[in-house]
Amino acid sequence: MALFKRLAARAREGYRRMSIQLLLSLSFTAVALAGIAFMGASLLLRFSDSAQSLTQEATQRVLAQVNMNLDSHLRRMMRVSDTVYYRIIKKTDLTQRSMGEAMSLLYEENRDALVSIAVFNEGGGLETAVPLSSIKPTAFPNESSWFCLALERMENLHFSTPHIQELFDDPDHPYRWVVSLSRHVQLTRDGNTERGVLLVDMNFSGIAQVCRDIELPNGGYVYLTDRSGELIYHPRQQLIYSGLLEENNLTAAGYPDGSHHERFQGQEREVTVKTVGYTGWKLVGVVPAGQLWGEGDSLLLFGVSILLFSAFLMAFLNFRISEHISDPILRLDQAVKELEAGREDVEIEESGGGELRRLSHSIASMVSTMRHLMDDIIQQEAQKRRSELEVLQSQINPHFLYNTLDSVIWMTEAGRTQEAIQMVTSLARLFRIALSGGRRIIPLSDELDHARHYLSIQKIRYKNKFDLRVKAEPGTEGLYMLKLTIQPLLENAVYHGMAGAEEDGLISVEARREGDELIIDVTDNGVGMRPELAATLLSDQRPQLRTSGSGIGVRNVHRRIQLTFGEAYGLTIFSEPDEGTTVRLRLPALDGEQAARLEQEDAP
Amino acid sequence: MKMKRNARIELVILLALGGGVILTMLLPQVAARRRAAPPAEVSVILREADTALWSNVRLGMEQAAGELGAELRVLTPAGNNDGAGQLDLLRREAGQTAVLVIAPADCAGLDRALAETGAGCPIVSLESPLAKADLTVAPDNAALGAALAEAALAQGGEGYVLLLSASPDSAGVAARLEGARQALEAAGARVRVGETDLSGTGLADLLKQPDLSAVMAFEPALTEQAAALKDSLGLDLPLYGAGVTARGAAWLERGVISAAAAWSDFAVGYLAVEGAMALARGQAAQTEQLPFFIVRGEEIYEPEYQKLLFPVG
Repeated sequence: MALFKRLAARAREGYRRMSIQLLLSLSFTAVALAGIAFMGASLLLRFSDSAQSLTQEATQRVLAQVNMNLDSHLRRMMRVSDTVYYRIIKKTDLTQRSMGEAMSLLYEENRDALVSIAVFNEGGGLETAVPLSSIKPTAFPNESSWFCLALERMENLHFSTPHIQELFDDPDHPYRWVVSLSRHVQLTRDGNTERGVLLVDMNFSGIAQVCRDIELPNGGYVYLTDRSGELIYHPRQQLIYSGLLEENNLTAAGYPDGSHHERFQGQEREVTVKTVGYTGWKLVGVVPAGQLWGEGDSLLLFGVSILLFSAFLMAFLNFRISEHISDPILRLDQAVKELEAGREDVEIEESGGGELRRLSHSIASMVSTMRHLMDDIIQQEAQKRRSELEVLQSQINPHFLYNTLDSVIWMTEAGRTQEAIQMVTSLARLFRIALSGGRRIIPLSDELDHARHYLSIQKIRYKNKFDLRVKAEPGTEGLYMLKLTIQPLLENAVYHGMAGAEEDGLISVEARREGDELIIDVTDNGVGMRPELAATLLSDQRPQLRTSGSGIGVRNVHRRIQLTFGEAYGLTIFSEPDEGTTVRLRLPALDGEQAARLEQEDAP
Repeated sequence: MKMKRNARIELVILLALGGGVILTMLLPQVAARRRAAPPAEVSVILREADTALWSNVRLGMEQAAGELGAELRVLTPAGNNDGAGQLDLLRREAGQTAVLVIAPADCAGLDRALAETGAGCPIVSLESPLAKADLTVAPDNAALGAALAEAALAQGGEGYVLLLSASPDSAGVAARLEGARQALEAAGARVRVGETDLSGTGLADLLKQPDLSAVMAFEPALTEQAAALKDSLGLDLPLYGAGVTARGAAWLERGVISAAAAWSDFAVGYLAVEGAMALARGQAAQTEQLPFFIVRGEEIYEPEYQKLLFPVG
């Protein structure tokens, strides 16, 4: 039971893991084989029945022919006997003349089949015999079975089984096998009738000749017995007589005419029996049944071969058809797997049958929809990022504008018109650069100009409490950068670094190129801060409090850079209390072409 | 990988079915080829020059040859019991035949020669066992001699029982004689061995000895000669022989031979060639000792005896 369950589980597992192609192939093949096996079994049974019938019919036909020939031969002997009796014996008075001459003539006519013709009186004494006349001194005819039978059953002719001719001395053929035909006759002697026996010894070879060389199907043969089963002729007769072979003749003699199945010495045989007319002899045809690799089995094997070849062709076609059916499914499966693996250029092929084509179409449609949705999501993400950048950028402008306008108001109120004009001019210049035709990437020189103008404004506002130094090292010419990134840092430097300065403050902006990167250091010599604090300024975890010193401006710049160029870029803050702060911008060194491409990519 | 596995399974199924097709196509041809095994040559070397003595043996041989596909070549030496002549024939045939069937005239000489040079092919011995024979087809010769002696003893009589010996070098014949001698001596009968040859030289003198109660011969040729001589000399001696030929049967029927030990010569021939063909095809060949029986003249027409003594032609 456990084994059965284990096998069932293995079968289920195998079925689960089996590919659809193999499943189809095996199913089709199994059904085809079952059909062919069923057909083969039906044909085999039919063939077997037909072969058996044909064998029986063939055997019966052969036996009928042999029977006819044998009957003809025996009737010829009976005619000889009749002729001797009715034409010679009946017309001869033994005291008046001999029967020898007439019998000799008759013998000569039939010498091919006869050995002797003899007439005996009731006591067994020889009256006449041809061609042999010398009876052996040891012969006692009246003790012979043929003699006794003839006298006992006077109305019949009696055929003996083969025996050695023992009555006459025959110098040429001393011991010849004969079959004796005897009958009761009425001898006339001196006008009186007396009983006698007529013996016609026929050559056994005549009977053997009739039965010899008869071929039956499957190596079969024919033999002849008398009514009691005593063997008369057999193709291997002497082997049986010598005890080297056995035959089922005694049993076969009991069979009625027709076909019978018997098992003899371990061999199955089809036995057909035919009774030979007057004599009651039995002609027996024996056909071995199912002789291994015999003629019948060769035919059977040929049939099996044809069925196997049909199964081979069916299996081959099944495999090809299964492949044809399952191939689109497998390709669809492969395409879906590739989609799962993240390949984007996967093509969903719409092939195969109607349902599969619809399924492929649905999946292709779904994939197309998914791609559109993904594109939309990407676009939405880009839009969101732009919006975020704009928001971040817009977070700068109010600070600046508010502070500048506040300074202009303050200077105007104080009558410092020239400074106010200068400030407004710088502000205008500042805004012109800030707008930059809507571009986000601007030349480094413009950004540094922007920084100068901003600090000019702030310097006026803070009554020259600090100095300004803007420097671009060689190699930075022609480079581009994200606009409005320095200004928020300067703003922080002014508000936080210079807040406690008197007139010795210094804010410097230095740009240089390091390989593929543009480095801009914004440094102030203000109050500085603890490095731990400096380290938290760029962290997203820091609460977004819009208070002075919250670091929102710095963090906005940092996020803008990273959103635009990636995580590798951004700000780094170096600061020590009472020594000042340096904020380092790390940007890609963009040339004009790269800047234009980047600008184009980010365009909505 | 999965495709490869599928392909492998499909290939196995196709190969199995294809193999089945080929097998079922080839099997009948193989069987037919096996059935149609090429005929094997079987050379038969007899002991006597007179082949009529072996006619029934030849019938059996021809029956077996016809059934089993053997090509028979029957050879006789120049003279009776010519051991040297047999050896020459054996050497000549050894390289040309598949199997040799021989009724040895000089068993010891033949054994020596075979031990020295070998036969070059399987050997089936008739009548007498040979050390180098692969198969021997013969009755129990000693028992046969003893049975014949019993028949002679049953007849009774005073005087010596003459045991005729014409083939002392034939182990089979010698064994029969020895078997008879032992049985006779055991029963208290007086025994005399008379040497002669198959041409009958000196046989008449032996038969004319006055103090004989019976004569026994242990081979068909000698039995026939003794019977013929007894008949021509008008001797009234019971004669016992071994082997029944057609001529022997006539002497038996006429009472010239009182009784004979007989066996089926047809069976001897058939079994010899059957065994020879088995050996030629590399199979083992084995046969039991042939049964024999003692037959008297009045019994030869008994159905069972006539079937054995006179083969159906």
